[in-house]
Amino acid sequence: MKMNNANSFILKRILIISLAFCITQFFSNISYTVEPDEILQNQEYELRARNISRNIRCMICQNQSIDESNASLAKDLRILIRNKIKEGSNDKEIYKFLTDRYGDFILLKPPLHLNTLVLWFLPFILLALGIYIVFYHNKKSR
Amino acid sequence: MKKKLLILPSIFFFIILSIFFYLLIIERNPSELPSNLLNKNVPIFETESLFKNEKFISSQEFKNEIILVNFFATWCKPCRDEHVYIKRFSNKKGIKVIGINYKDNSKKTIKWLKNLGNPYSDVLIDKNGRVAIDWGVYGIPETFIVNSKGIIKYRHVGPITNEIYKKINLIINENE
Repeated sequence: MKMNNANSFILKRILIISLAFCITQFFSNISYTVEPDEILQNQEYELRARNISRNIRCMICQNQSIDESNASLAKDLRILIRNKIKEGSNDKEIYKFLTDRYGDFILLKPPLHLNTLVLWFLPFILLALGIYIVFYHNKKSR
Repeated sequence: MKKKLLILPSIFFFIILSIFFYLLIIERNPSELPSNLLNKNVPIFETESLFKNEKFISSQEFKNEIILVNFFATWCKPCRDEHVYIKRFSNKKGIKVIGINYKDNSKKTIKWLKNLGNPYSDVLIDKNGRVAIDWGVYGIPETFIVNSKGIIKYRHVGPITNEIYKKINLIINENE
């Protein structure tokens, strides 16, 4: 009986710690590094800037978007995007401005080109192949 | 048929393994990114010059000669390390060396160049990093070679080492 109590106590502890970990992870994902002086007064413009920033890779940290990175180049790019929006550039023009200088690598989602076909479609081909093998194998074993 | 199907995943696995192994043995730096500006015209920009009283207008400057463009700052230790190579380039005939001073203090830069020697025929000021963005720069020091037609032929990220020095020399000779 004592053993059972001790077990359930440990289980509860593990559950609480896991829950706390999940909660902190959830909030860490929605924390941004946009500084107060960068934020635009016009909410519509600010929303557009945030949406673009989320798709732009920080070239220094490489696995973060410029919206999450506190690198100085990320800050420069965030300000540049906001300035371009204020000047009246549309989203397409801003993406073009950035890819002209830094290449497609600056986009977190690689565009569909001839040289990225394998990247986009190989997983689906392998999945189809896997499903086929599993079904074929099942049929035979039956 | 069943046997054939079982062999298929092994072949795939072997191909993927070979690709990974190949990428491991070839000499490459995965964090170094290719420049999107290679074989394109130099970006159009205007900025102040540190020593000259006139504005530097890129469209008027990048023509008729090979130009080495070096992004540097006094606060950047690798820039100090590569300075000896930049000086060697400035002594080479048929090439002009331009420095772009990235997010720096002008007074400190003048002192720094006085102490280490000034290899640049012109030092341009990039106070807020806007010129660097036009060149697709993401970490200084960065060095570009622009040919006499104003087209970027080479970009190196990081300090110039003896090996890179030799490589840049070859590219300069090819473009002469």
